[in-house]
Amino acid sequence: MTDEWNTVSENDLHGYVDGFLNEADKARVEQWLERNPARAEDIRQWQAQAGELRAMFSTYARSDERDRALLSPKTNPDEATASASRWNAGLARRIAAGLLLFVAGALSGLYAPHILAPGRSDRVAEVAESLPRQAQSAFLIYASEVRHAVEVGPDQQTHLANWLGKRLDHPLNIPDLSKLGFSLVGGRLLPVNGKAGALFMYEDASGQRLTVLLGRNPDNRETSFRIDNSGGVETFYWIDGPIGYAVTGEVPRALLQKVADECYRQFEGAGEAKS
Amino acid sequence: MSSSHDRMSEGAEASAAAPDRFEEDVLALMPALRRYSRSLVRSDPDGEDLLQDCVEKVLARRAQWRGVNLRAWAFTIMTNLSRNRHRHTALHPEVELDDTLGLQAETQASDPLERSRLERALNGLSAENRSVLMLVVIEGYRYQDVAEMLAIPIGTVMSRLSRARHQLAEAMKDDNVISMRRPK
Repeated sequence: MTDEWNTVSENDLHGYVDGFLNEADKARVEQWLERNPARAEDIRQWQAQAGELRAMFSTYARSDERDRALLSPKTNPDEATASASRWNAGLARRIAAGLLLFVAGALSGLYAPHILAPGRSDRVAEVAESLPRQAQSAFLIYASEVRHAVEVGPDQQTHLANWLGKRLDHPLNIPDLSKLGFSLVGGRLLPVNGKAGALFMYEDASGQRLTVLLGRNPDNRETSFRIDNSGGVETFYWIDGPIGYAVTGEVPRALLQKVADECYRQFEGAGEAKS
Repeated sequence: MSSSHDRMSEGAEASAAAPDRFEEDVLALMPALRRYSRSLVRSDPDGEDLLQDCVEKVLARRAQWRGVNLRAWAFTIMTNLSRNRHRHTALHPEVELDDTLGLQAETQASDPLERSRLERALNGLSAENRSVLMLVVIEGYRYQDVAEMLAIPIGTVMSRLSRARHQLAEAMKDDNVISMRRPK
């Protein structure tokens, strides 16, 4: 990097595109680009390339049921076959692409904390920490889906609640967020922490979506509300006994908190009423 | 192969304490490895092949892992494998067109034609330039990280990145004879 306001190097341009510049350098590059339209066009292309490349390969960031076998040839073959046939039987066929894709987010979310961040040996903490990550992956993947955002639509709400409640092994009712301006788009089954979890999607009149994710929690404890922000995607999450909850969206934090409060209230009601 | 990030030291200790942890850690990396492998090659089957080779090598070389940053270490192994593979495919290049269309339908969020053009342009990059581009753009590594992972000077990282970007842009421009806008 150079100290001169007026000079921008090729490296600065890459740093700009890759988001590695501090605010001052960013501003310097932007000013320079205004005076150098040809290079500005390069930058525009590089940015478009980067976006396209990410989109192009993002769906490959997924787990595969054969991964474990690949890693440990000594895995009990019966177990492997059983799990493979379970996969083939129902789940995989219906939601193959989306689900596998999500496993990627789920797994990387689950393990990334202890791979990338120091000092976290507590597995339970990892699962709790991974919840917002998984919720954000699910939101990013499914909320942008136009045609297949959900498996079961709002017209079959009772079925949706029963089905996902059964898979989650926890009675649930689907929160009604209409007084906050959000209506149910539907729901789907997905893996959370390696077990069956549920995702509900809502949208407001403008099409702004948010998701509510539920997953089994390995230990039976409670947490307060927590908040996690990743690239503009906000998640409120909490653990209430056997279930972890995460409400995710690209909406103002205050609104998301209202949604989380509302969900908390309504989910709590379901657990008490039916269990 | 000179990644020496301290942020991974915790993972190293955990791994020493529990032998299965290594497999679990690699398992957790599979999605990232799968994406990276696919981003380096021309087709889905090639991507899975490269991934398998990489996992085998990671397991085989487990004893050589210094206990820091497993992800970067695995990425380095993958990068080297792909370079070898690329030398091979450079001698047998006739598989290109059909295979480039093998990208999953799900990925076709934007104009499919544009995307297949970009993929062809990608396939014109050298393995060295391509891997640097992918490590930065898709995997989000900083330039210094890439330099350490690939054991090359940071200046080389920058020049490879620059060549990759210019070459892609150029290829897309050359090819830009088809207008995708429909007349209104």
